[in-house]
Amino acid sequence: MDALIHLGDGFLQVLQPANLLVLCIGLVLGMLVAVLPGLTLVMGVVLALPFTYTMELLPAIILLTAMYVSGTYGGAFTAILFRIPGEPIDVPLLWDGYTMARKGQPAKALGWTLFAALGGGLITTMVMVLASAPVAKFALTFSSPEYFAIIVFGLASVVSLGGGSITNAAISLMLGLLIATVGVDSIYGSERFAFGVPFLQDGIEYLLVMVGAYGLGEVFTRLEKGFAGDGTTADTDRRISTEFPTLAEMLRLKMTFLRSSLVGIVVGIIPGAGATVASFVAYGAEGQYGKRGKELGSGIAEGIVAPQTAATSSVGGAMIPLLTMGIPGSGATAIILGAFLLHGMQPGPQVFVTSGPFVYAVFASIFLGVIGMCIIGYFAIKPLVKVLELPEAVVSAFVVLFCFIGAFAARNNLSDLYVIMGFGILGYLFEKFSFPIAPMVLGVILGPLAESSFMTMMVSHGNDWTVLMGRPISATVMVLAVIALVYPIQRQLRERTKRNGT
Amino acid sequence: MLNRLLRASPYVVVQLAAIYLYQVAGRIEFPAAPGRIGPDFWPKSILVLLGLVCVYEIIKNLLIGETFTAAGLLEKLMKDSGANEAEEKLRSYPLLLAGGIVLTIIYVATIDKLGFFLATIGYLALFMVIGRYRRWGVIAIASVLGALGLMFIFMKVVYVSLPLGVEPFSAVSLWLLATMGVH
Repeated sequence: MDALIHLGDGFLQVLQPANLLVLCIGLVLGMLVAVLPGLTLVMGVVLALPFTYTMELLPAIILLTAMYVSGTYGGAFTAILFRIPGEPIDVPLLWDGYTMARKGQPAKALGWTLFAALGGGLITTMVMVLASAPVAKFALTFSSPEYFAIIVFGLASVVSLGGGSITNAAISLMLGLLIATVGVDSIYGSERFAFGVPFLQDGIEYLLVMVGAYGLGEVFTRLEKGFAGDGTTADTDRRISTEFPTLAEMLRLKMTFLRSSLVGIVVGIIPGAGATVASFVAYGAEGQYGKRGKELGSGIAEGIVAPQTAATSSVGGAMIPLLTMGIPGSGATAIILGAFLLHGMQPGPQVFVTSGPFVYAVFASIFLGVIGMCIIGYFAIKPLVKVLELPEAVVSAFVVLFCFIGAFAARNNLSDLYVIMGFGILGYLFEKFSFPIAPMVLGVILGPLAESSFMTMMVSHGNDWTVLMGRPISATVMVLAVIALVYPIQRQLRERTKRNGT
Repeated sequence: MLNRLLRASPYVVVQLAAIYLYQVAGRIEFPAAPGRIGPDFWPKSILVLLGLVCVYEIIKNLLIGETFTAAGLLEKLMKDSGANEAEEKLRSYPLLLAGGIVLTIIYVATIDKLGFFLATIGYLALFMVIGRYRRWGVIAIASVLGALGLMFIFMKVVYVSLPLGVEPFSAVSLWLLATMGVH
């Protein structure tokens, strides 16, 4: 009951004109970055970050979460209509969404997408509202071993669930953890890896790593592949409309919808997975357990509803560990965590005690964001897909500038521009040699938290790290971390042996 | 053998860096307290793990010539779906990349002297050209209006103090600021 009252107050806060305006801007921006090839959702959220420096915390978080929510939906338009997935999230929509459109039912395909995004978004928001406070309450009982174990589990998941090979992801993660140690350490005040360089003594801001590796790195990678000259050749002038499925049609797909929502929420909660994994896993689950699983790929509604529902549902799932434990589960939530920290707020178990009304306002903004995103998607689809006509070279030039301004504005320090340039080149090299960037970014963000909980644990328990295995929660989580790392390797080795055998 | 060397090269580079950084970590100064681990413990532990992973990859790629690598779930899903195939078929333009990187470094190095507005006009225009865009009218308009617009948004609305440059270039920045009503 308390949750509903707080949520009501949250709605009142978000409905204030300034916050509502920020919400709408965030939704439109999220859709735009999701539509534009070459501009990913995570990049978009990174580029929006500098605009939040002078904002209050609530509108800042509303802007970024709105982008995050609508970014899981916007790319569906171009995937279905033009076979151009704006994001990897939208790849599964090509198989049935685009096929349905090719069969002469593009409006229906868009209608199913809208239904899935709306339903998945509302369900995940409800779960987020109901589950966050109890999770935070439970997390309050944690001490340093539990915290350290959870961070280890999060980092292990990032390695095993993300892109690239598992060893490359592990190297990327460890580089991130190392970058986080640069500067003066918080316990002894000792200088680490600063090499006498003044700006390194202050440490390397995670913001610079994110902006450089995600923003500049991606632009350099695409520049090497050659930007598309004049934007898309797709026919964006044609008539585009959305046709809602009927109630009977919706009810027929209730199991698909529920299954995919569950997949999205669970995958969202697991650090490192995110909307793309949710979308693929839900599509796979539909193929395996759905009534018409064997018909997937032939342009059926289940193939649209499953990935889209899961992608949008993953947002609420990812927000739960972020808000209740301060652990981001994906690139986008890592940036949102960055925004929290920039504004002097550390999400975690205490957040409901110290900033309850604020958290519920964020929940309310996601609720309204899901609805707003669908309204915008319904009415503004044509101008949204028009951005496909923007030349990539022009868009990329501005992306670089936003990266620089974002990096510069944080500390008004020109040296930071060289730092993001360095991370931009590193990000490009990562792409080139198939090292995923997300583990490095999460390593930089979670590194200080991991180190401080590790050091506290060691000091409190007489340097005995086996305490991790002596406490039920930390032991369970550590075992899960080991499984998360070992199981995929073992399974793929087994598959390979089987393949070689046949 | 060349293939094996190429495959192992990133890991060799990281391994050498890890060895060097481990030595640097050994020289971290701190007031040692008996029975307590110091600030070098955490980075050293990470470097040991990093080294172990690199050794594994070097042995696998260089000595055994094994190409199997366990992929992360997302990588596997994308690979199985064939989603990356279209990307992989794209051509490569290393000169464009080199040009883009050099231009960006020059921009960073000169922004303090030329000021945000002038440096940004040049950067935007040249970057679009390097990006193989050839509509000169659009390039000119996007560069000038883009630089102006960004200056207005960040200096007038978001209050970011962007570099004004040195004389005589700063005169342009100051005139623009006065015109925009920024004091």
